[in-house]
Amino acid sequence: MSDLELEERLKKRLEDKFGGDILEMAVQRRRRLWLTVKPEKLVDMMRFLYEEMGFNHLATITGVDFGAELGALYHTTDQHNIITVRAKTPRANPSLPTVRDVFPGTESYERELEDLFGIKIEGLPPGRHYPLPDDFPPGQHPLRKDWKLTDAYPEPAVKEAK
Amino acid sequence: MSKISIPLGPQHPGLKEPINFGLVLEGEQIDKATVNLGYNHRGVEKAAEERTYIQDIYLIERVCGICSHSHVTCYITCVEEIAKAEIPERAKAIRVLVGELERIHSHLLWLGIAAYEIGFDTLFMYVWRDREHVLDCLELVGGNRVHYSINTLGGVRRDITPEIKAELLKRIDILEARTKYYTTLATEETTVLARTQNVGVLPKDLGIRLGACGPTARASGIARDVRKDEPYLIYDKLDFKLITADTCDVFGRVVVRVLETVESCRIIRQVLNYLPEGPISIKVPWKIPEGEAVNRYEAPRGEDIHYVKGNGTDKPERVKVRAPTLANYHAVPHMLEGGWLADVPLVIAAIDPCMSCSDRALVTDRAAARSAVWSWEEMRRNGIEFYKRRGVDFSKVTLK
Repeated sequence: MSDLELEERLKKRLEDKFGGDILEMAVQRRRRLWLTVKPEKLVDMMRFLYEEMGFNHLATITGVDFGAELGALYHTTDQHNIITVRAKTPRANPSLPTVRDVFPGTESYERELEDLFGIKIEGLPPGRHYPLPDDFPPGQHPLRKDWKLTDAYPEPAVKEAK
Repeated sequence: MSKISIPLGPQHPGLKEPINFGLVLEGEQIDKATVNLGYNHRGVEKAAEERTYIQDIYLIERVCGICSHSHVTCYITCVEEIAKAEIPERAKAIRVLVGELERIHSHLLWLGIAAYEIGFDTLFMYVWRDREHVLDCLELVGGNRVHYSINTLGGVRRDITPEIKAELLKRIDILEARTKYYTTLATEETTVLARTQNVGVLPKDLGIRLGACGPTARASGIARDVRKDEPYLIYDKLDFKLITADTCDVFGRVVVRVLETVESCRIIRQVLNYLPEGPISIKVPWKIPEGEAVNRYEAPRGEDIHYVKGNGTDKPERVKVRAPTLANYHAVPHMLEGGWLADVPLVIAAIDPCMSCSDRALVTDRAAARSAVWSWEEMRRNGIEFYKRRGVDFSKVTLK
């Protein structure tokens, strides 16, 4: 464990602060820590990472379709390590809080979650679609696993050859 | 004075790529700016899930025309991490070599565009003439000027022969000498100074808060460079400087990029002299085990981050691409506000934006699934026919 001392220290700090709110946490390798947090504690955790631990850059947010649940991975970094915070939300009524108050430059990442996964972001002000076109069929979210291209762009019926 | 709102773009807002800015003007001064994205969404991430890992190399290369090597290297590092494949040292060195050639290409191309936006077309022509040298180098190494496809799963596809090495060293000397000339020119020429100093200011603390990256951040004094912060491939063995500037304006962005180009020339020389003997690739099974990985890469425009999730098959479960431009967009309205309308194209160009990178990927053209290799003559004949149908006859023109 000696070569992962720093990563274990980061893990310990988060464990001490959030304890039972962290559902799982593992050091994957050097410079990489992955954890899952309860969605209601997501903003608190992001603020703690930003203000107390120096993880002041949210590199991006990745939406993932886990099947029964949808999730978002928040890749935060202090430039040397990446802590990925997972937050999961039920597929039936997916919703996550916005982290804009902590990281102001994340609006487009959160709009991507809304457009491509249909995860409602609580606290995100109304705005234009991104990255889908304004006339994209509502209620369709292309990066969900059950979405097919033909849902949005039905293939035209084959004409009989004359 | 009453305020006027005008849209800028999506057609050609300074660069030939689609993005829309909403500007509120008071006279010629910008009171408020907003940015609208999404005109170039091609659905690459969805498409990547439907292709094999090998096919994705060529798909992800096409996320961007200029950072094609950056995106693929970042993606493939994730895949190799999941597959627990340790690639040979020589392959790592060749990846760095192509990566730095790409950086020189990107920065020179950008310098030309910046010169064009400034209205200094002589510099634009000079820079783009010299850019041909680096394109020739890339063609020599990868076989193509833009999409060199040097990467493959487990290493690289082409080796560096002694002849290629000699030619590269020769060209790098020329490029370095020219870049040093441009450094003097860009930092002393009054036209450049007048157009760039105190234009598009991004203070350091704001840059950090908005998550700026790459040369845009470094020009605001933020010492962020993935090559230094989290060395990948062989960057920990190389000696190079992290370039920053503290002017926080377009001038700083020019300085950072030209000096970085000189550093890249130094890196290339070191890599060519280091190049260890050995194989250039290893075999990696086509089926990649379950697992996930996230990796960063310092692309010419800044930090590029990819996330890959494997599910045990030969196709990825999820591929996420975040190009550097998307991280820098949020800073642009702040750079524009308080500035002048005439500076808008230059300020936008100064982050070196790439709209395709940001909007990435959805609709595939199934009808055009045919493919054919055309010879130069066939292409020329087709071109002549194409224009003849439109009433222009080029058939009398002879090629020298």
